[in-house]
Amino acid sequence: MDYSIKIGGEAGQGIQTIGDALGRVFVRAGYHVFSHQDYESRIRGGHNFYQLRFSSQPLAASRNKVDILVALDRESITRHEKDLTVNGRIIYDASALKFKNGGPAFLDIPFEKLALEQDGDKIMVNTVATGAVLGMLGLEPDLILELIADTFKNKGDHVVHANKNAVRAGYEYARLHCDTCTFAVAVDEVQQRMLVGGVESIALGALASGCRFYSAYPMTPSTGIMNYLASTESEYGVIVEQAEDEIAAINMALGASYAGVRAMTGTSGGGFALMVEGLSLAGMTETPIVIAMGQRPGPATGLPTRTEQGDLEFLLSAGHGEFPRVIFAPGTPRQAFHLTNKAFDIAEKYQIPVFILFDTYLADSQWTVDSFDLNQVRYIDYRLRGDAFKNQQHYRRYAYTETGISPLAVPGDASHVVVVDSDEHDEEGHIIEDAATRIRMVEKRLLKKLPLIRTEIAPPDFYGDQEAHVVLTGWGSTYGIIKEAVDELAKSMSIAMLHFSEVFPLPDLGLFDYVSFLRKTKLPLCIEHNATGQFSRLLRAATGFEFKIQINKYDGRPFTVEELIGEVHDRLGNI
Amino acid sequence: MDMTSLRHKYLRHDKKFPHVWCPGCGNGIVLGALLRAFERLNIDKDRLVLTAGIGCAGRLPVYVDLNTLHTTHGRALTFATGIKLANPELTVMAVMGDGDATAIGGNHFIHAARRNLDLTAIIINNQIYGMTGGQYSPTTPYGARAATAVYGHIEHAFSIAELAVTAGAAFVARGTVYHAAMLEGLIEKAVRKRGFSVVEIMANCHVQFGRRNKMAEPVAMLEWFRDHAVSAANANGIPPDSLDDRFTIGVLADVEKPDYIAEYQAVREKAKQ
Ligand SMILES: Cc1ncc(C[n+]2csc(CCOP(=O)(O)OP(=O)(O)O)c2C)c(N)n1
Repeated sequence: MDYSIKIGGEAGQGIQTIGDALGRVFVRAGYHVFSHQDYESRIRGGHNFYQLRFSSQPLAASRNKVDILVALDRESITRHEKDLTVNGRIIYDASALKFKNGGPAFLDIPFEKLALEQDGDKIMVNTVATGAVLGMLGLEPDLILELIADTFKNKGDHVVHANKNAVRAGYEYARLHCDTCTFAVAVDEVQQRMLVGGVESIALGALASGCRFYSAYPMTPSTGIMNYLASTESEYGVIVEQAEDEIAAINMALGASYAGVRAMTGTSGGGFALMVEGLSLAGMTETPIVIAMGQRPGPATGLPTRTEQGDLEFLLSAGHGEFPRVIFAPGTPRQAFHLTNKAFDIAEKYQIPVFILFDTYLADSQWTVDSFDLNQVRYIDYRLRGDAFKNQQHYRRYAYTETGISPLAVPGDASHVVVVDSDEHDEEGHIIEDAATRIRMVEKRLLKKLPLIRTEIAPPDFYGDQEAHVVLTGWGSTYGIIKEAVDELAKSMSIAMLHFSEVFPLPDLGLFDYVSFLRKTKLPLCIEHNATGQFSRLLRAATGFEFKIQINKYDGRPFTVEELIGEVHDRLGNI
Repeated sequence: MDMTSLRHKYLRHDKKFPHVWCPGCGNGIVLGALLRAFERLNIDKDRLVLTAGIGCAGRLPVYVDLNTLHTTHGRALTFATGIKLANPELTVMAVMGDGDATAIGGNHFIHAARRNLDLTAIIINNQIYGMTGGQYSPTTPYGARAATAVYGHIEHAFSIAELAVTAGAAFVARGTVYHAAMLEGLIEKAVRKRGFSVVEIMANCHVQFGRRNKMAEPVAMLEWFRDHAVSAANANGIPPDSLDDRFTIGVLADVEKPDYIAEYQAVREKAKQ
């Protein structure tokens, strides 16, 4: 069983409410769920959709085909009718859309009328539509009724009651009138999975890592991290500060980190442009910081609500001067959670900036995960604080050491001073000009740390045939799309996926010699959501391996699995 | 000229509509007032330039049939400064949101006022970040709720108008979208003034601000403006924003002083001698 539901309409019509409710019901019914959204940069109007797929098998991407299309506007029908499966159905409210289609795929459900009959409120159109979808699927209504009781409990019995009736009205109407519907969905063995999205996973990873300070300026697609952390502020004691701009945001986080707590900021390309000065300061002062950088198509304001992998090279070279940095690019919520944790660990251990490079597609898609493995969470306090600091005879913030890592002490915990300086400095943190100290500091800050940092980086994920002829290589958010394409294509060819989520520095070849592997395959392909192949250029610079053929997409939308399969087929002639 | 003819004259009506704003958004009232002000000013359309930042307010120039620059968040005044200095013959205006003008663009704003170049800043103050989903802005009132102030805002708002006055603006006015008829006059005066002029317009964002603060309907917000605005003429010398949650509207400052270009010409004359 594998069904897809698409809900289309204008911004502000509540397509997200319907999608979220259905997603939660399917999860409670024991299914795996994958959802993604496509919306315009506006609060109201335009055309938006929410696509939800559920199955008894784990899912990692959306498919083009749609089994049930919930059309809240006419455009949903014109745009998505073509994607309907043979037995698919379109549900719509003919009187609200002022449009009627008697075709066998169309089912007119008077959402508005049914909503008004319950409580005289059009707001409940969404609840009716949710009930109708469940009715068509034949999935018993208990789960949604429980969910409604949960969701509206603070709004009082009346609201709960009205919404329950609205669900039932939609449900019954669909059962009665969708007599040719062939869907059959029953509650599966009930498992406790959770449905999480990319930004939420990053936020949860930060909480699990002991993040105590988050400052940011709102910018899609990173705003969700701040909103999430702000809503849990009282529970977890994270201080969330919405700064006046991104310059302030990163510098506040650097201040908090200097003061002794784990600190993070988040933004998107345009905002990160403003953070670059602070990034360089973090490099010079060796102040740990985690930066979540959510890519959207640029340059400038670009396509604010759409997706791209166009900022990898920007991060690689951002900030004047030379200093170490690490970039992680998660491809799944699970990776987002664990790599955020690893980012904190590495930032603190090496006293460097570490990036979580994600994008709108990852931010806005939701997956079912069994749970995050808290045993794998790493938390070591690398800072010198309290008595340990007090008991030191001397303290020098930038003391020369074998590893280049100097003791990072918490100011105020002892009578020693903690001196940091943006100018070049000596071991004590005082400004210097002399060449000898400069050389030793560059060695300490940069050259000694680099080889150590490299040992932390994990090899890429490999999936599929060890002897594959065709290898689909990718990084970041394309993980699920590539994996599902490999599953399909494996039916007719020898194929594998090579996916990088730890992208800079690139993994050493010791544990897995991916370069030799790529060299011996017949058709290595690099897949990226950008115009020029930034990752493939990085790989070439670092390893000498060159992808002769790349598959790039830069229209601001993610590949669908079917599209990617088509692209691969088009290139098979090159074997 | 009636509103329909004005729309035909000043809007990119066949290309850019429907607009992105939510039904009932105050920005439409501001746009209407702006068109009426253009007509009163009777400036050659081709000599008028509108710059804007990013946000719901920043989308305004997208709809007008003028030379427009929809730029980056917070920076509209800097582009406007460059335009005016390069060609002082142009009438240059910048349309910004409260976050745009006074959070990320706050530094540019105070320096533009101090510089006193002949520009007109139209600031649509909806007391919230509309475009990004309701985070607080520098003008969100203390105690109000926002996406990033779930339990009520703990920072205090500042007054854009007072800030502009102290920073050196030559002309400062405030209006609201409830007092729609007054707006066009304020805008007209601001454009006619030589020097840096600011028109702050209190506008309703019932979707992001109102819904979180018990004013979910546009009408509720308009009534709030009606009940809390005090005419500057009746304020009897009370400073514009010392009226608890009431605020003054009308012309708040109109200072006679040479603008930047006059100063510049004078210094050039001096240098030549
Ligand atoms: C450098 C940068 N940071 C953040 C953003 C995201 N952003 C777009 S509009 C906006 C704020 C909008 O609020 P406001 O300026 O008050 O205008 P409104 O939308 O309320 O009219 C933000 C934060 C951006 N575009 N660029």
